[in-house]
Amino acid sequence: MIRMVLVRLALTIPILLGVSIVAFGLMRALPGDFAEAAAGTTSVSAEVLATTRAQLGLDRPIWEQYAIWLKGVVTGDLGRSFATKRPVTQELLPRFAVTAELTLMAGLIAMLIGVTTGLASARLRGRTDWLVRGWNSLLLAVPNFVVATLIVLLFGLYFPAVGIFNYVPFAKDPLGNIASLLLPALSLGLTVSVTISENTRAAVLEVSSQDYVMVARAKGLLARTILGHYLVRNALTPVITVTGLQLAALLGGSILIETIFTIPGMGQYLFDSVTRRDYPVIQAIVLVSSTVVLLTNVLVDIAYARVDARVSYE
Amino acid sequence: MVAIGLAMLAVLLLIVVFGPSIAPYSPSKTSPNSLDGPTALHWLGTDSIGRDLLSRLIVGGRGTLFITFIAVALALAAGLVLGLTSGYMGGKVDLIVMRILDVIFAFPVFLLAIAVVAALGPTVRNLILTIAIVYTPAMARVVRGPVLSVKRWDHVEAARSVGVGEFAIAIRHVLPMVISPILVQTSLILANTIFTVTALSFLGLGPPPPDPNWGSMLAEARQFMELAPLTVIGPAVAIIFASLTFIVLANGLRELLDVGSR
Repeated sequence: MIRMVLVRLALTIPILLGVSIVAFGLMRALPGDFAEAAAGTTSVSAEVLATTRAQLGLDRPIWEQYAIWLKGVVTGDLGRSFATKRPVTQELLPRFAVTAELTLMAGLIAMLIGVTTGLASARLRGRTDWLVRGWNSLLLAVPNFVVATLIVLLFGLYFPAVGIFNYVPFAKDPLGNIASLLLPALSLGLTVSVTISENTRAAVLEVSSQDYVMVARAKGLLARTILGHYLVRNALTPVITVTGLQLAALLGGSILIETIFTIPGMGQYLFDSVTRRDYPVIQAIVLVSSTVVLLTNVLVDIAYARVDARVSYE
Repeated sequence: MVAIGLAMLAVLLLIVVFGPSIAPYSPSKTSPNSLDGPTALHWLGTDSIGRDLLSRLIVGGRGTLFITFIAVALALAAGLVLGLTSGYMGGKVDLIVMRILDVIFAFPVFLLAIAVVAALGPTVRNLILTIAIVYTPAMARVVRGPVLSVKRWDHVEAARSVGVGEFAIAIRHVLPMVISPILVQTSLILANTIFTVTALSFLGLGPPPPDPNWGSMLAEARQFMELAPLTVIGPAVAIIFASLTFIVLANGLRELLDVGSR
């Protein structure tokens, strides 16, 4: 088990290295740089631009800039923001925490809705199945920002008293914080719940037709016991995988949802930094999100092996 | 299923081809009746500066769908070349191509698109290029999967044994066998692209004004939506209709062509 975890982690290192190169090169490959963006519309002499670049080390060869940055990253130092001169880690952490919380809540809501509807669809069949599948096909076509906008419209029209734009920081009021993120998380999670629901349904249907379930039924085990011990446990494997793989979509989507519900997460920070060409911040955001996605994939593999003893990565 | 999907697609294509000529008004023509409900003159009402909502939906749909179709066509072309080469040749080529795609896969697509479009400047050309690039890895994977199994089939071996060149085998004997799953997946990716295009425009990263666009219309309408809910519901329904078209089409094609769900 430990060996497997180590092997999987080792395999992600080259991918992370590739990600770091893309994160570093992306903005530099595009036209415009920080010195020009900082000058804005005012015309600045070439010397001033050169001084700004020299101060930030932008005049050095690109591979040298990369090496310096990578060395910092390995030791946990993401550099300083060009714009605010503050350490990126310090600025990014609180914002990332908010985005992560929103993403996590959305994932949980998606799992709750997805597993429930998928299970109901597979066990009850008939009209329930038909309803769930119809609902899922429709929901799949509704992008999360449209769900969010429609929720805002609904509350604006019929429940104007409920303040849905009042984000409450976790440190101030943990329960209020969770409550203020419920609607945003719901709009983010609904689309993802479709994938989970369909996978749960397919997995439960497949497991139901296995011999051991028939044996359990023949033995006279209670339907409840069969459901808990055989169906859910075995159907869980594909569901975990799918949920994990949806994380990238959730992370990207949370940036959209944050702007709609005015939540102080990574979204606005990314926007401002791209406009200002604040390289260290953009690099950090891209690197951190990709690392989270990659590590989740590893976790999914491990969870897979824990749930299903047949899976091995030797 | 396919018939319904094709009928919906026909509506979308009609909008793309004849958009401006079937719209009752010019999409940028203002009138003093702002934020009106539906009337005989303006079937869906007007927006905050009195522009006809129906006309803006039709012309805006043209902009949204044009970007979507061209971007997916480009991604499909690139994905076909990459996926076919890497899947058919296998070995080192496959390994290298797949590792590069793994790196791109590790990025949240939407985050990547925001960064690139914001930096390049939101023009139609930049949007198309960015979206084509972000969806290329997905396309390549879609193509590569079935190629891996088809290339071991007997008819490929037979072609090789009578001396058909490798390139000709890949094009004439492998490609036709993998068209069905690619069609299904392309349809699903089209639905996804509608989402990305409208979401970027929603964030202000779409084609610059005054060109209407479903995403930016939805964003603009939020300010006055309690006064004129149709200005929000209109573009919302349009976006849902367009993505639903491709989802229905994908499900229909899957049944018709008997493609496994995996």
